[in-house]
Amino acid sequence: MRVVPDLLPGVDRAAFGATLAGHLRRSGISVGLSEIEAFTRALSAIPPRTRTSLYWTARVTLVRRAEDLARFDAVFDALFGGGAIRLDPHARRQDALRVVAERPPPVRARTGGDAGGADLPWAVLPGGRGRVGPPEPGDDDARSAPLRLPSPLIGLADVPFPAFDAGALALLDGWLAEALGEWPTRRSRRLRPAPTGPRVDLRQTLAGSRRTGFEPARLVRSRQAPRRRRVVMLCDVSRSMQPYAAAYLHLLRAAVVAADAEVFAFSSSLTRLTPALAHASAEVAVDRATAAVDDRFGGTHIAGSIRELLRSRHEGTCRGAVVLVASDGWDSDPPEALGAAVASLRRRAHRLLWLNPRAAAPGFAPSTGGMAAALPHCDQLLPAHTLAGMADVVAAIVRR
Amino acid sequence: MEGLRRRLDEAGYLADAGLSTAMALAVALGLPLLLEGEPGVGKTEAAKALARAQGSSLIRLQCYEGLAASEALYEWNYQRQLLAIRAAESRHERLADDDLFTEEFLQERPILRAVRAATTVPPVLLIDEIDRADDEFEALLLEFLGEASVTVPEIGTFHATRRPTVVLTSNRSRELHDALRRRCLYHWISFPDPERVAAILRRRVPQAGEAVVASVSAFVGRVRGLDLEKAPGMAEAIDWLSALSALGVAALAPAEPGWPDLGLTLGALAKTPDDLDSVRDALAEPLGGGCGPAADAPRR
Repeated sequence: MRVVPDLLPGVDRAAFGATLAGHLRRSGISVGLSEIEAFTRALSAIPPRTRTSLYWTARVTLVRRAEDLARFDAVFDALFGGGAIRLDPHARRQDALRVVAERPPPVRARTGGDAGGADLPWAVLPGGRGRVGPPEPGDDDARSAPLRLPSPLIGLADVPFPAFDAGALALLDGWLAEALGEWPTRRSRRLRPAPTGPRVDLRQTLAGSRRTGFEPARLVRSRQAPRRRRVVMLCDVSRSMQPYAAAYLHLLRAAVVAADAEVFAFSSSLTRLTPALAHASAEVAVDRATAAVDDRFGGTHIAGSIRELLRSRHEGTCRGAVVLVASDGWDSDPPEALGAAVASLRRRAHRLLWLNPRAAAPGFAPSTGGMAAALPHCDQLLPAHTLAGMADVVAAIVRR
Repeated sequence: MEGLRRRLDEAGYLADAGLSTAMALAVALGLPLLLEGEPGVGKTEAAKALARAQGSSLIRLQCYEGLAASEALYEWNYQRQLLAIRAAESRHERLADDDLFTEEFLQERPILRAVRAATTVPPVLLIDEIDRADDEFEALLLEFLGEASVTVPEIGTFHATRRPTVVLTSNRSRELHDALRRRCLYHWISFPDPERVAAILRRRVPQAGEAVVASVSAFVGRVRGLDLEKAPGMAEAIDWLSALSALGVAALAPAEPGWPDLGLTLGALAKTPDDLDSVRDALAEPLGGGCGPAADAPRR
């Protein structure tokens, strides 16, 4: 019988596991000590004989989330696929010799210019001068590249929305904190003690009866404990909603911080903003959110984004939740598609609120297109175009 | 590991390299295994097949919101305790706590049963759909997953002599806590590629003909590429193939008069009205929308 040799013979398993975990951590996967311990024990319990079995052993023990699997594949291929670490000891020795032989040539630093690294003992990249806009005819510097400015959160030129300063932010936070006291709830299946409850808690009754000679003199009652309903917010951040996007991002952030809401932004595709906005400082949170959404200037696909939400793994968070959609209804998709998407969202949500800043204009009547298709499925349509409108939104959430 | 893969094959489950590695490691290291994947890829089936392959019993705990210790760990038999109290009273004996909270009055629930199992091969405990349970239940599980022990405050701690093999399944409808993930090995089961789909269909529906198995696996692969609310999984493909072979369909061929419309069987594959329309359109495209009789099936 042919004996298949062990992979990586003579390698210190603990050091191997720790180094591999270090590479994974540098690529963004959080690997803890218990994972490394499990990997090392796995290497001794079932020693891998092929690269595939090493891959599966490492993947099953070190990666604990589905989101990290792609990064793990990349790191593993970089380490073991491209020959950076050869699995055969003879090849490893050859690699070590080759690295010693190819000593890097000495580097002369670039002098002058705007490189900024004139005195450094290593080479610096040529200082690219950024330009904004197309190159001028007289500009013959081939190394300049167009600068990409961040999309400006435009101020509110023509619409009555005051700038969101610290005072407005504090007001918004205050309203939400107050509203938490009356947040909509749903009955859950957990029981909690309640003197007037409909059920009798046998365990506590018998435990309490020890004091009265095992005669259950006092019945301990319980009832179903209420849980807060989740809030899911979808915000349109396309070009037509630009004047309001900044303000709505603040509302989303306040909801995430105060009420554990799940928030998403969409224009042509859907982006989940909950981790980006979960920051105590409003400026940092909005900056992170702006960086996360990178497709603001395409056409709006409201129906496609809602469908994407309902097909993703966040579909379960919409069930039984209070869902807010902030959009003006100008959709590139046909209105029937928007109607169907909003209908399937309404079937899962407890309540559906639509925030449309255009509704504040006098004489607004949703007779055309997307808004007309979506309106029959909404529980409430709110303008939310001023700070007072935000207060109405919070009140609408808590109203039963 | 190859031995486990072969035994799973004999038990009727075709496992790929990743899943058999994960199961072998879970058994060898004594760590729980968390299986995640879309609905219908065979996570629960994998745990059942593992129990059959190991020759051990399967203990199943189905999770739901509000699952508490009294349904998952243990429960005291209150009625029996009250009767014991009354009997002691009638004999004019004193009854102390130690007499009343003994193993005689302890009712085992699945997790305690797995810990106290005294068989040679430790049982497989399947904790199904852990994402349906809530945070409080996950906290309950931590002691058991970490140390394979259950603490009953009145009696003491039960330790498992041989650690049971624990398999948790999740549909990813809720994010599980890190404390739970840290204690388990993790494997993601993805939908298999067409050759493996055909192999699994052949194994699970042995009475179906080769041609219809091939066309069903090709069609299911095509349907999964459409934009459906609920994309069909392995379970739905197996149900549809069983339905087709029960009707005696030999191939997905254009309709002949006198035979039922194939579109009526699509309820096994598509589960919402919009999906049903999309799948029916997809079926009608290259085939002319019908079914053909089996070679030796009696004509109606």
